Amino acid sequence: MNLSRKNKQSIILLAFVLPSLLFYAVFTIAPAFGGVWYSLTNWNGLNPTYQMVGFSNYIEALGNDPYFIKSIGFTLKYVIVMVVLQNVIALLLAVLVESRRRSKVLFRTIFFMPNMLSLIIGGFMWVFIFTKVLPVIAEKTGWLLLDQSWIGDPSFSFYSIVILSLWGGVGYQMVIYIAALQGVPKSLSEAAAIDGANSVQNFRHVTLPMIYPAVTIGIFLTLSTSFKVFDAVFALTGGGPGRSTQVIAINIVEEAFRFNQRYGYASAKAIILFIIVLLITMVQLWIMKRREVEA
Amino acid sequence: MIAMQNAYSSRKKRGPGNIMVLLILVIAAGFTLFPIYMAVLNSLKTDGEMLNHILALPTSLTFANYSDAYHKIDFLRSFWNTIMITLIGVTGIILFASMAGYKMSRTPGKLSQFFFAFFVLSSLIPFHSIMITLVKISKELHVQGSTYGLGLIYIGLGVALAIFLYHGFVKSIPRDLDEAAVMDGCGELRLFFVIIFPLLLPITATVAILNALWMWNDFLLPLLMLTDSDYYTLLISTNMLFGEYNNDWSAILASLVLTMLPIIVVYLLLQKYILSGIAEGAIKG
Repeated sequence: MNLSRKNKQSIILLAFVLPSLLFYAVFTIAPAFGGVWYSLTNWNGLNPTYQMVGFSNYIEALGNDPYFIKSIGFTLKYVIVMVVLQNVIALLLAVLVESRRRSKVLFRTIFFMPNMLSLIIGGFMWVFIFTKVLPVIAEKTGWLLLDQSWIGDPSFSFYSIVILSLWGGVGYQMVIYIAALQGVPKSLSEAAAIDGANSVQNFRHVTLPMIYPAVTIGIFLTLSTSFKVFDAVFALTGGGPGRSTQVIAINIVEEAFRFNQRYGYASAKAIILFIIVLLITMVQLWIMKRREVEA
Repeated sequence: MIAMQNAYSSRKKRGPGNIMVLLILVIAAGFTLFPIYMAVLNSLKTDGEMLNHILALPTSLTFANYSDAYHKIDFLRSFWNTIMITLIGVTGIILFASMAGYKMSRTPGKLSQFFFAFFVLSSLIPFHSIMITLVKISKELHVQGSTYGLGLIYIGLGVALAIFLYHGFVKSIPRDLDEAAVMDGCGELRLFFVIIFPLLLPITATVAILNALWMWNDFLLPLLMLTDSDYYTLLISTNMLFGEYNNDWSAILASLVLTMLPIIVVYLLLQKYILSGIAEGAIKG
């Protein structure tokens, strides 16, 4: 009697989970295993036959593919700049917006607006700004710094990608930080203010420790999304000029779909990206969670 | 005392620090809106006017760019395709994930723990690691290259996070409700759809917002899947326009404005719900 009740429960559970399970297995889990499998082959996407080549794709990617190595370096540089700037600016905006009484809704609405748009749309608008509008402003104001080849010159295109990404991404982080700030009890900072703490001290010693979990999430999100950046680079530079702004995701897509059709090799690169993101975010979470407990 | 506090706070409000805060916020808002403003402004000018007076207000409103862009990106069809993909994806995710999340949260035992772990683990898998095989599988299942196919793929990619959100939310609904309904002779499906599902509305709104935003703005997956221009989404059409007419800024800007307009209108109408949905999803996800 007891067993059959349990069996019946399991069957009902299965019936409720099955639709999700089916879609999830076909479009997420199977491709994930397939990716690992093909990364060990020389499959070119068209040929029905292919050979197992062991780890030679991985060895080639990490040992004998200067463009891939360069794309890892470029992505790392981008990730570091984004993690710092995105979180610092978002937190600053969140604190400033929350300090306003009547205009807070207005500013919140404006700062989040780019997030509603795809970075492809935002990217094309910024191409217009960089190539058409800034030269005119530079001419009128004499600020020659603005009159650069923001997209064509490798040393400036990095900054153009960072500017677009911040423009599109800061609002999302800001919303997370605002939610965290709203959870900090007012009485705490009021008490600190009575004890003579100024607003900077109040922020460092009262607010920041209270919102530390949100900082952990904020950094985790910027880390994992920045490593996978595709849209911003695609819209602005497409990885150019001369592969100088090629991030890992662009490198993989070109390897697989655009030029080479080396699906097996591109799969190996995708697995390497996965491992990098996994390792770095795990280390970040481990370090920051430990500090959270202390704080 | 109260009067003193008021005097203090109103003095503080007008202090130099507050003007600095306002100044920073206004500059940041200007930076945020500048590209959108420039796009709208110049989409209303003729080519010659745009070249010579890029910062100025248009002397007269020209809508020719819009009718040009409207045809070039086949706006109605692209718009319809984007809506269909989003609708299929979001509906499927809400329906399937709410069922799974609810039942897993309510059923104790190893099986349900196993399913939950199985779904949650996938949030670690980046899209790039699965996209190559996903293209192959979609081809074999004949779901590649069509709007309904893309909608189905989004269900498979999106259910896991939604299940996670539903699973957490169901805990806040008292079990007594289920038991009372079963006592009254209510079947499993009716219990879920008639009694539980309406109570899930807050989290359903969050799931709908997060997923609709993602599908509406997603670029890489449609780029890889759609080959026939009949099925292009707004973003893919706009991208093609950008590629083909690299210097025809009038048409490009107009198409960007056309593509943005619906989202911005929806955002301004629903911004309260959207922002709280985002915060909810980000913190729990």
